[in-house]
Amino acid sequence: MNTPDSKRLGLPNLGLGVGLRSKHFVHLMQNDPVVDWFEIISENYMNNFGYARHVLAHVAGLRPIVMHGVSMSIGSTDSLNLDYLRQLKELADEVKPVWISDHLCWTGVAHLNTHDLLPLPLTLESLHHVAERVNRVQDILQRPLILENPSTYMEFEASSLHEWEFMTELVAKTGCGLLLDVNNVFVSGHNHNFDPEFYIRNIPHKAVVQIHIAGPTDCDQYYLDTHDQPVPTPVWHLYRLAQELTGGVSTLLEWDANIPEYPDLVAEVNKAREVLLGNFPDVPVYRTRLADQVSNPVDHQMQTTHE
Amino acid sequence: MSELANIQKWLTSIIVKPGSINDKIIMADQHYGLRHTEVIKPAPNFSSGEKIGIYARGYVLRLMECMSAEYPALQHLLGKELFETFVKAYLVHSPPSSPDLYNLGANFAAFLKASQPKNADSNMFDLPVEVTLLERAIAEVSRCKGLEGTSQETETDDTVLYLFNTSTIRSSPCLMLLKLQFPLAGFVRSVQRGEEATTPLTGESFTAISRKDYIIHMHDMETWQWQFLKALQDTNDYMSAINSTADVCGMANSTVMADLMLWIPVALKFGYIYRDDNQVN
Ligand SMILES: [Fe+2]
Repeated sequence: MNTPDSKRLGLPNLGLGVGLRSKHFVHLMQNDPVVDWFEIISENYMNNFGYARHVLAHVAGLRPIVMHGVSMSIGSTDSLNLDYLRQLKELADEVKPVWISDHLCWTGVAHLNTHDLLPLPLTLESLHHVAERVNRVQDILQRPLILENPSTYMEFEASSLHEWEFMTELVAKTGCGLLLDVNNVFVSGHNHNFDPEFYIRNIPHKAVVQIHIAGPTDCDQYYLDTHDQPVPTPVWHLYRLAQELTGGVSTLLEWDANIPEYPDLVAEVNKAREVLLGNFPDVPVYRTRLADQVSNPVDHQMQTTHE
Repeated sequence: MSELANIQKWLTSIIVKPGSINDKIIMADQHYGLRHTEVIKPAPNFSSGEKIGIYARGYVLRLMECMSAEYPALQHLLGKELFETFVKAYLVHSPPSSPDLYNLGANFAAFLKASQPKNADSNMFDLPVEVTLLERAIAEVSRCKGLEGTSQETETDDTVLYLFNTSTIRSSPCLMLLKLQFPLAGFVRSVQRGEEATTPLTGESFTAISRKDYIIHMHDMETWQWQFLKALQDTNDYMSAINSTADVCGMANSTVMADLMLWIPVALKFGYIYRDDNQVN
């Protein structure tokens, strides 16, 4: 076991960042990025040699980049997709990200990819399975893998560990880092009736490399991870707690649908500074009864034309 | 098979299969020897099946948004309801297997073609197929490896040089050529720009799509222009492309040459062709 002994696995605190999204490409080619760093969805650039790749090269010349993936499927019982990992590494060789992250989830089996972040039964079997794969991925990528807690909408009867226990064990077994999505903790806590603060207090803080903040949707019977709203007050409280416990780590605002203009996006992530001073924005969790809400929206990846 | 593998197959099958959520769960329970109420924890007012339903519904909605983003003109043509019916059938027929979302829509045109009525006496059924082909071509052109950032990137200010040296003229690596039964370039462009788009009437059309300086260009062009680009793409040789165009279009070589003199600057400007200055003659 190689438990990380240095804070954030020795990785830097990059400050406040936002996701690089096609809606802002033209703006970013003409204006100062303002934020400290950017996160990209790795899959959006792996086979893309068009404008998106050009914008990425431009932005990477100005600010640090982190590569965040959605299709590694680290929890799948299919064999590791070595082709995917090769392409991921090729992109990393070019982009030189400060780190590479993905999710503690699986996306499908039998070579299907649902493009969703599906939850695992939190069992010892899953733990050994995921740990073995994380170790192999880290050998291939030649760097620690940073894994994010997903939002979940169901729990398995077979689960014998809480998610924070699973994360803790995984870090101990692999030396991987954690991307703590405090919005996901909030969403899952609401859906499964656990205390999100307790979760955040009980993960290995030294292994936390990055935090995600985002705005979810209250769909009446459950919360959904929609990434389409301002960050609500209770998520800001969890954010502050996490920053206190970790001693300060890179912060990234996720906004993937209903995406605001760039200055408004920057204003939203900048609220984090005020939150750390104890000034919390008064924002309720967005509520809707519409049944067409989408978790993990991915269509922002589909930009085809540019004029 | 491990318990984890069995559960993953069970859930994947529920998510990707068609039908009502309850039917899908019953089928998967039987097939994988599981009982969903014993696999997924219920909540007091929220059953195991309802929880699985969040994932099953999200799967279709999420991919539907991707297909809408790739095929806006098709959606405009068919209307939202019919478009979604076809996409849902397509997702059942070809559930996504690639980590790359961009591969999701790759076979959609072929799927629509195969779902046409067999004895259709009108080519109107080809209209949605061809709109799909064109929108897919646009997506491919927008992502392929182009000439941007390479030394072959043609500067528009010195295009007069083509008059003296045509042997280095090549078709662009991004160029895609479609022979269609409807003139669709204007229709698709109008939808993309949110302008009023009238459904095109039938009429053979020769369409070229390419990219220059990361901007997509797309035109319905004259037959000889299209044939020339096609021949240039096939032969990589300016003079044989002229001969072949003259042959196919029943034109004199000299006429093709003369017409090209006027058109080449346009073709360079839109990135259909470029001058390969690294070429050693
Ligand atoms: Fe996240």
